[in-house]
This record gives sequence, C-alpha cells and structure tokens, in this order.
Amino acid sequence: MSDRKITLEFNDHVVRQFLIATLLWGVVGMLVGVLVATQLNFWQANFGQAWLSFGRLRPLHTNAVIFAFVGNMMFAGIYYSTQRLVKARLASDFLSALHFWGWQAIIVAAALTLPLGLTRGKEYAELIWPINIAVALIWVVFGVNFFWTLARRRERSLYVAIWFYIATIVTVAMLYIVNHLSLPTSFTHSYPLFGGVQDGLVQWWYGHNAVAFFLTTPILGIMYYFIPKAAERPVYSYRLSVVHFWSLVFVYIWAGPHHLLNTALPDWLQTLGMTFSLMLWAPSWGGMLNGLLTLRGAWHKLRTDPVLKFMAAAVTFYGMATFEGPLLSIKSVNALGHYTDWIIGHVHAGALGWNGFMAAGMIYWLLPRLWNKPLYSVGLANLHFWIGTVGILLYVAAMWTSGITQGLMLSATTDNGTVLAYPNFLDTLNAIRFMMLMRVVGGGLYLAGFVVLGYNMWRTLRGAQPVNGTIEVFEDEPARPADERVGVLGTFLNPPVLFSVLGSGFACAWMFGANALSIAGLVGLMLCGILAYAHYESRGKAWASWYDRLLVNTAPFTILTFIAVVAGGLIQIVPLVLTHHAANVEDRRQIPYTPLELAGRDLYVREGCYTCHSQMIRTLVPDVLRYGDYSRLGESIYDHPYQWGSKRTGPDLARVGGKYPNVWHLRHMENPRAISAGSNMPSYASMLQHNTDVAALPSKLAAQRTLGVPYPNWTPEQITARVAEQAIAIAADLKTAGAYVAPEKEIIALIAYLQQLGKFEAIAPAKAVAAGQ
Amino acid sequence: MFRRLAFENTAAIFTLVAFITAVSIYVTITWRAWRMKRPQIEHFENLPFSTPTPSARHEANAPTV
Repeated sequence: MSDRKITLEFNDHVVRQFLIATLLWGVVGMLVGVLVATQLNFWQANFGQAWLSFGRLRPLHTNAVIFAFVGNMMFAGIYYSTQRLVKARLASDFLSALHFWGWQAIIVAAALTLPLGLTRGKEYAELIWPINIAVALIWVVFGVNFFWTLARRRERSLYVAIWFYIATIVTVAMLYIVNHLSLPTSFTHSYPLFGGVQDGLVQWWYGHNAVAFFLTTPILGIMYYFIPKAAERPVYSYRLSVVHFWSLVFVYIWAGPHHLLNTALPDWLQTLGMTFSLMLWAPSWGGMLNGLLTLRGAWHKLRTDPVLKFMAAAVTFYGMATFEGPLLSIKSVNALGHYTDWIIGHVHAGALGWNGFMAAGMIYWLLPRLWNKPLYSVGLANLHFWIGTVGILLYVAAMWTSGITQGLMLSATTDNGTVLAYPNFLDTLNAIRFMMLMRVVGGGLYLAGFVVLGYNMWRTLRGAQPVNGTIEVFEDEPARPADERVGVLGTFLNPPVLFSVLGSGFACAWMFGANALSIAGLVGLMLCGILAYAHYESRGKAWASWYDRLLVNTAPFTILTFIAVVAGGLIQIVPLVLTHHAANVEDRRQIPYTPLELAGRDLYVREGCYTCHSQMIRTLVPDVLRYGDYSRLGESIYDHPYQWGSKRTGPDLARVGGKYPNVWHLRHMENPRAISAGSNMPSYASMLQHNTDVAALPSKLAAQRTLGVPYPNWTPEQITARVAEQAIAIAADLKTAGAYVAPEKEIIALIAYLQQLGKFEAIAPAKAVAAGQ
Repeated sequence: MFRRLAFENTAAIFTLVAFITAVSIYVTITWRAWRMKRPQIEHFENLPFSTPTPSARHEANAPTV
C-alpha cells in the first residue's frame, strides 16, 4: 500500500447551486403563501383570475415550500456534509448535475401546472402523474449518487447524520411511490388507485411522514452536522443521538392516522395513530435536547453569531412543534383543533421555525465558506433573525388564537347540548378576521427576512470566487478488514434479529390467537426471552459485534432502517387495502356518480375546493348538529381521490346535496357574497363561461371501472346522452327559477355533483358483511 | 370499518401492543447505546471535525448595518 497523499476536491459546485435555488424558491413559495393568506382576508386579491384563486395557489404554496425550498436546502446540506463525513467526493458529477437540474425542472413544471388546475386533488401530492414519475426518477438519481458516494468512502464509520439521510432516502421513495399510484385517463389527469377511506389512510400515511422524513429526518441530520460545526464542539450525547434515530424512525411512521381522528376511519387505526403519536414525544424531545445541549459552553456565541442564533431558535421551534403535534393527536384535543387554524399554526411553527431557520442558519454558515468571502453584513443577518422571529411568533400566536376561537365557537351548544350556539358558520369566520390579518403581517415579516437574506447573499457573492473544499487523503486506502463485513445474510442471521423476530411472532400469537395458540404464544415468548438472555450471557460479544459492524456497513444498515419504517405502514395499510371495500361497509354505500356528476367532481378537485371544505362529518355532537348525520366510510368508497379535506375555512359539504335549490348554488358560485354576506370564498363566475369537458368522460369512466367503481360499459354516445339529459334537466330547473345557463357549461356539472353529495344506498349491515365473505 | 364493529372491541389491544412495542424499541436501543465504549463514541462524535473547515471570517471585514 502506498502512503502517498493526494488532495481530494469536493464537488461543492452542486452545493452552491442548491443553496441559491433554496433562497430563490423559498422567496417564491413564501410570496405565494402571503398572497393566499391575503386572499382569505380580501377575496378580491385573486384579481378575478381563476389561476390565481386560493384553491389553485394554496397547493402551489405548500409544494413550493416543502419540495422546492426545503428540498433544495436538504440536498445542499446533505451533499455538503456527506462528502466531508465520508471523506469522498460525490460519486458522479453527471448525476449531481442531473439531480439539480432535474429537480428544478420538476419545480418549474409544478409551478406551471398547479395554477392551471392540473392536480390529483391530494394534499402535498397534487402534482400530475408525469411529474410524479419525474420526481421518482430524480429521487433515484439522488439515491444512487448518495449510496455510490458512501460505497467510495474513505471513512468507514457512518456518523449519525448519514443515518438520518439514509432513512430519508429510502422512506420518502416508499411513501411517494405508494401514495402516487394512479391510473391515468389522459396525459394530465389520473385517478388514485386507492379510494375513500383507503385513500385517506394512504394519504395521511404519506402526508404525515412527508413531514417526518422530508421535513424532519434530513434536517435532523443537518442539525447533527452543522450545529457541532458552528458551535465548534461535538454533539452533546452521541448515545442519545443513537436512541433518537432508531426510536424516531420506528415510531414516526405509525402516526399518520392522527390526521383522521373522529372520522369514519376504523377505530383501531385511530387508536393506533394516537398512541404512537404520543410516544413521539420521547424521541423528538431527546433530539431537541441533544441539539440545544450541544451549545453548552457556547451560549455566549449566540450574542454575536447569527448562525448559532438561527440554529438554536430552529431547534427550539422543533421542540415546540413536536410537543404540540402529539398534543393535537389526543382525540379530545383534536376534536377542538382539527379543521381549524390551530393546525395551520402548528404546521408553520415547524415549517417557518424549524425548517426555515435551519435553512437560514445553514446558508449563513455556508456562504462565506463556499465563496471564500466574509458575509457581507452580520448586522443584516441579525436583522433577518429578529424580523423572522417576530414574524413567526405573530403568525403562530394568531393561528393559535384563531383556531381555538373558531373551534370553541363551532363546538358551542346551548339547551343542554341540543342546539348550536353559533349556527351560522360565518359568525365563526367573522370572529377570526383580525387573526387572519395578523397572519398576513407575520408571514410578510418572515418573507421580508428572507428578502434581507437574499440581499446579503447577493452582496456577499458579488465579486466572490467560488471555492471547493479539499482534503488530504492517502492515495491507496487500507483494505477493509474481513471481520467488518456483514453481508445480506449476516444482516438477518444473527442473534439479536432472530430472537426479536421470534419474540414478535410469539407475542402476536399470544395477543391475537385464540385459546391454545394464545397459551403457546405466551409460553414461546417466555422461552424466547430466557433463551435470548442465556445466549447473550454466553455469547454477548456476538451481539455487540453485530451491531458494531452494522455501523460501518451501509447496505445492511439501510435494509434494517427500511424494515423499521415499513413495518408500521404494512400493518396499517394492508388490511384495509385487501378487504373487499364495497362489501364491508356498515349500513350505507355510496351511489356511483352519474357521468355529469363525475365531471362536476373533477371540477371540484381542479379548483381545490378541498383546501377549504371538508366532506367528513365527524362522530361529534356539534358536527352532527351542524351538518347532519355523521359520515359512514361506505359513503365515500368510490371517491378517487377521497375528498374528506383537512381544513374548514368554509362549512363541511358531506351532506350539502338537496339542502339548497340549484339556483342557490348558481348564485353562490357566481358571487358568494350575494348569498352569504361576508363570505371570503372566491367567485367562480368563469365556470358559467366554460364548457364541461364531456369528451374526456369515456376514458375517465373506463378508469373508474378499472378501479372497481361499478359503472356499466357505456359507449361514448351513451355517456354523452346521459350527460345531456341530466344537464338539460338542471338548466331547465334554473330557468324556472329565473336564471339562464346553457346546459353544457361547467357550473351545471358542478351543481350536479354538489346536489349528489350525501346521497347513499341503505344496506343492512349483516348483508354487507355476508357479501364480503 | 370494513368490519368496523368487529374491530372496535380490540382497539384496546392495539394501544397495549403499540406501547409495548415502542417501549421495547426504546429500551433495546438505549441499552445498546449505553453499552457503546467511550473510544467508540469519541470517534463517532468527532467525525464532523475530521475534515478541516475554512473560517467564515465574519468579524474581520463585515460592515455593521
């Protein structure tokens, strides 16, 4: 082996690219956020343009902030820290460039399609299927580049940040692919494979874990690298970081159902989601304390160093948000907070405080180092910190107040709980108008902070020379010792894993088995425990060495991480997906939409109505008093995608069908304030001008049939005739009421859909179960 | 659910199983982390410092605003 040293140059070019993109898309995403927040106060702020309406821009805001802002920041942080932690240049310059430009192309495609109303109608999963495929491909490029770099590493040990990056890559791939499984009906439209409650469960398994594995785990990895670097001292407790990692990745994945508490989701899933959410307190706070305590002995630096200021505040917001999350997952608290601005406040404490401030801290730390020039102005960085902090506090406090106020008002009853205290939904909206305005101010301040960062960055970069980091390494690396290797077989065939699997099997038999099986399970579990202890006593080194070898072997580590995250998803989703969903309902089954109603539903999805209206009456007295009988899961089983919603800026629509005459809906969509004085809903007058896309219906109905919706095999002519028949009837009814609209207009299809909501076929529960067997 | 009523009575077991599982994970990993040797920990926690980092030179030239 040669002991000659060579200089290895890191690929920091791609880090710089991602860093600039972070700021650019961050400002765009936040600007759209401020605009949509303004629209909630001043409905005119969409300037009468359909592509600027709240329902279309809100998905653009969330996608831009999550995937463009945090995504680019995450890639910058991962690529910078990984190269240095493993002492290897990124494996492929081509893949790095493809990753960067591919991701930016995806963002541009999203920014163009979402305002056009091209959407899948699922929160944070709105992008149309061709873009979904592009995301999956670019993610694979990222994964290959990352793992290839690990394979070429000169540092055998994998630092805990790398663990978090590995968990991010494998889990996001799994979540994204499963939740985006769709059946295309055209190049720009598709229906999700899952429907109704199944779609809801898969959606929030994805949605919640997008928070966990896109907005949390990679940023935790970045925290574990950049805070020690900035504080110039090692992480407070490496032991705690080990506990933090494994407990977080194992527990987080189970918590998704807490987004569907008190709904038609099976109770066992709600209980499971709530319980695991509460358990998240421990690992989350373990990580938060580990991050903060890393600053022990360096607190004085916070006075002068904006990097540490941002990072300390970010970790504090992480602690706040991860305290609030489990709190909101308690069923009774959730009954108050769900569908209100409290959730918006919670989300933004995490996004603005944790993600945004970590991004800012990382950028300020990297700028002078990647461009070899001091930061233009530390004073401006401090100014950014303070206006950002005031902005977050204003935003979050306003949303807490707004959410709790609206939640209390919507739940308030009189006459011994039999009459609503505030029967008019608009009363609750009017009560929170000031808080909604404060949100705009808070969000605006936060955005202004990032504009200041942009100016600081521009002045720093002006005339600066980009510089790539280097490291001296031996030309020939020493051969890897044979006893370090684990191999795929060794990953599974070792005492800790074998005893764990056996023990879990016996535990399941004990708890779920009947009579003899249960007793056998209990005996087996006890025997397993005794044998495991005996084996450990005599061969303890085998147990320890397996784990130690795992810390220097990427593939087995990745496999075990994948098993940890996949377990929760399998247990929650598989039973629901495999069950014959149309047969196993309680007492009601949805009536499939007519072709015109389906066209109307697609318009409802296109306009993003689900961003303000739910279609799920919870099993709560105030919900039932306000909206009608609670929703059964059978009433939405043919909904691809499900439209239960997550926010009630307007009232629930699950049983709006037949509640008002057709002309009411027409006038309301044309000018909401003509019907509901003070409403902040946008006007949809353009739907009176545009024609319904009837030509697309044959392929849409064919796709629905493939997905299990019991439609006859109609010819395109039969579909057109059915559409015309129903549309003419609605138009005639409108004419009788004094309004003239041509039957082919979009508004007719939307009215048809709205009037169908809440209609169902009553079936006997026993028959339903028997039919499913 | 789909067989919602049949599942409802077993909800308590899921809570119990969830608790036992999570506690088992916490205990196992905590035990494993606790058993890590000091030199091993020092090696891991110093990995971010094994590569030289240039100074930011904030204080030297940055104007005050």
